[in-house]
Amino acid sequence: MAQDAVGLPSDYQFWMWKLSVWGQASTSETQQDTCRHLPQFQEFLRQMYEALKEMDSSTVIERFPTIGQLLAKACLNPFILAYDESQKILIWCLCCLINKEPQNSGESKLNSWIREMLSHILSSFRFDMKEVGLFTHCLGYAPADYYPGLLKNMVLSLVSELRENHLNGFNTQRRMVPERVRSLSRVCAPLITLPDFKPLVEALLTYHGREPQEMLWPEFFDAVNDAFLLKKISLPKSAIVCLWLRHLPSLEKAVLHLFEKLISSERNSLRRIECFMKDSLLPEAACHPAIFRMVDEMFRYALLETDGAPEVLAAIQVFTWCFVEALEKEDTQLKFTLKTYFPYASPSLVMVLLQHPKGIPQGLWHQPLTHISEMLREIVEDQAHWSCRGPFESWFVLVHFGGWADVAAEHLLMSAAEPPEAWLWLLAFSYSPRDRSQWRAEAMAEGKAVLSRLRKLLRSPTLSARDVHAAAGEQSGDPRPPACPWLIRRLTLNFLLWAPGGHTIAREVITLMAQTDEITHEIIGFLDQTLYRWDRLCMEAPTSRKLARELLTELRVHV
Amino acid sequence: MESLLQHLDRFSEVLAVSRTTHVSSWDPATVRRALQWAGYLRHIHRRFGRHVRIRTALERRLHNHWKQVGGSGPASVPGLTSFRALERCDLLLSQRLLENPALGDAAFHSLLQQLFPGPGVLEAEEETLQGSLALLARRRSAVHVLRLNGYGETSVLQEDSVIKTQAELLLERLQQVGRAEAEGPSRFLSSLWERLPQNNFLQVIAAALLLPSSSPQPPKEPLEPDSPKTPGEGSQELVYWLLRKSDIMATFCRSLPAGLVTSVAGRHPDLFQVYLGLLTNWGRHLHYDLQKGIWVEAESQDVPWEELYGRFQSLCQAPSPLKDEVLTALASCKAQDGDFEVPGLSIWTDLLLALRSGA
Repeated sequence: MAQDAVGLPSDYQFWMWKLSVWGQASTSETQQDTCRHLPQFQEFLRQMYEALKEMDSSTVIERFPTIGQLLAKACLNPFILAYDESQKILIWCLCCLINKEPQNSGESKLNSWIREMLSHILSSFRFDMKEVGLFTHCLGYAPADYYPGLLKNMVLSLVSELRENHLNGFNTQRRMVPERVRSLSRVCAPLITLPDFKPLVEALLTYHGREPQEMLWPEFFDAVNDAFLLKKISLPKSAIVCLWLRHLPSLEKAVLHLFEKLISSERNSLRRIECFMKDSLLPEAACHPAIFRMVDEMFRYALLETDGAPEVLAAIQVFTWCFVEALEKEDTQLKFTLKTYFPYASPSLVMVLLQHPKGIPQGLWHQPLTHISEMLREIVEDQAHWSCRGPFESWFVLVHFGGWADVAAEHLLMSAAEPPEAWLWLLAFSYSPRDRSQWRAEAMAEGKAVLSRLRKLLRSPTLSARDVHAAAGEQSGDPRPPACPWLIRRLTLNFLLWAPGGHTIAREVITLMAQTDEITHEIIGFLDQTLYRWDRLCMEAPTSRKLARELLTELRVHV
Repeated sequence: MESLLQHLDRFSEVLAVSRTTHVSSWDPATVRRALQWAGYLRHIHRRFGRHVRIRTALERRLHNHWKQVGGSGPASVPGLTSFRALERCDLLLSQRLLENPALGDAAFHSLLQQLFPGPGVLEAEEETLQGSLALLARRRSAVHVLRLNGYGETSVLQEDSVIKTQAELLLERLQQVGRAEAEGPSRFLSSLWERLPQNNFLQVIAAALLLPSSSPQPPKEPLEPDSPKTPGEGSQELVYWLLRKSDIMATFCRSLPAGLVTSVAGRHPDLFQVYLGLLTNWGRHLHYDLQKGIWVEAESQDVPWEELYGRFQSLCQAPSPLKDEVLTALASCKAQDGDFEVPGLSIWTDLLLALRSGA
């Protein structure tokens, strides 16, 4: 605060000058400039109040001899009084100046001036509404009874004017010319957080004139978007979709806001991510392909920038779950083709990935699984297919529906018959899209060996942690590190969750496995993701579920 | 119950005093106590909103009190008018004290400390006086900002926000007074007629008669189950009053624009009949000036031909039952006059001709 007070004098001069220029905000130019500066001015007022409340009235006058002028100018500006919390802070500032026991005529004068200002802000009718004052007074009402109703009616009248315009643009009687709509959006920008303005904000957002260019003020969009992100205003989905479609910077800001929330929240479980996602309204809004594409592009950049960070992968997956859910709710029939959402991926691939595993009996999952794996493999390995965008696009689509790779890992272990190699390929591919076929061949060979050892152990009557650890290949005698340790860990963890005696040795195996913090985090991520997927798919697996939950809780305590 | 009513009486007195110079004797403790009292009554409002018996008793008491202090007299002071007003009685008291220059410096200082404790502590609470006062200030300024830019004003009178708001308040108040007074709000209306600028009052009455009966009015009243759901009751009272006050009804029909009276007539058949009666009566006062070949007024207060024609024309442009009845009435007047077809003999013949050619 001391620092704030140091910066105050120069700010003070600036705002004094601004306020003089603005006057009572009667011309369009001064109004524009006022509206643009309202948030900063509120911040200045706040700092001013923090400084004032520490001083007594006479010190204030000594340090800021023109404070009265400054506050008076602010009190006379209706935009300042109507904006957010400015009127409240202004009142607080005035309260700081008042003398409890004025000692001389100067102090008395100051007191009565402050009282005049407060009365100007808080009571008495505006000069232009005298006749209304008399009327309400005779009825037995006070201004407090009158203003809310008047504002409601003014807003409703503007809303119906806009609607009429919208429906019947040639009706000359109540036509609002584009310039008037534009200036309405400008005037409204500082007022939108007043609950009374909600219908008008909605009407403006959904209003499209006949002019090709945007008629609303960019500042209006900014203000609505900021207020929405800060939860100072609640609007129906349709209005928000209009906002984001009409003003891309707002959409970008909304996605970045979501990212920031995800990053700043500690220990993200997928449930939490889901809450943030739904709260952002982005998955629902993404039912509109233009919005989906924009959000998806931002996810793509995040993925590339972080080199495929698991947190980003998880966020994309949860986003897709929520998006698909919203899409199903939106309409029984898809309004837009899948191609519009995923223009770079093979439509038939998207079709199969989109199949909700929940809709398929668990016993039949191997069919789509094999289908997906083979199709992907064909696309990735066929040069002609990925001539334009490379295997990355296929991988990026798979990432959205990452649940399928996890299902593959489970089925590799649990299927009664010998599992097809394609599933293993899918699992390896889901780890990395990079085309190093030799690497992938190695990883698959390793995976295959581990898998066959683990499958054998499934049938053994007694299990020991050492056996499992050995099966996972750590003691195979090969001095080279495995090509894809992640794949092996994934198979081992699934083994622990599903093998009949898995729960007795799980902790020991995990201790052997989790040699670094990074691996511990990976295991936590796996357990969280698995539990989330089981919930989503309504999987009945009480023993495995219990074990996974316990392990997750225990591991989280340690990090 | 009795103590509750006494509390109410005491507070009404405090409220009445709060606007006078007597507050000069108030010290900080008095201010604090007065605000506490207001807070208590607000609590009563919340607590007994659904309790019909208590509500009615309180409402009666408030109304009697309001009448005693001269609620209908020329120098009246708005006070607590209804049970609903208790919801904001602390707001009312604060505003009066803030505006009263007679309040001493120390008392005023303490008032500010209580109303505006500053940021922090109280902000989390559901609804603080500080918050309500700031919201009111915001709304007032928002209205000002909109008006400054010419929004919310319209040439269509019944759609004008200011008039419409006044109309809503009028109906709400009529319902309250109607419930509390055995003979209904008639006397109250007459007193308003004497005290308010007539033209403004007539416009408000017209707007009130045109408010949609389904409009959710008065706003925000989930607490009061027996409060009337529609303004229908209030507008019916207005119709009765106008029907009983023939001179006011005549002024109403004469001074408001033709289109507006037509709309009102379209909504209220009783008023339409009176209007039609007035129009034919006005017509009988005109006589034909042979030299000029036009219908002229006998006396200065008579309605000129152009205006009469304009009012009939407006009625004839209204939807069907209105138009048909007007034409039937004109035809029967014409028949009474001898059913001439030549112009200049009967005003009804001429009116019908003009209407036919004008339409």
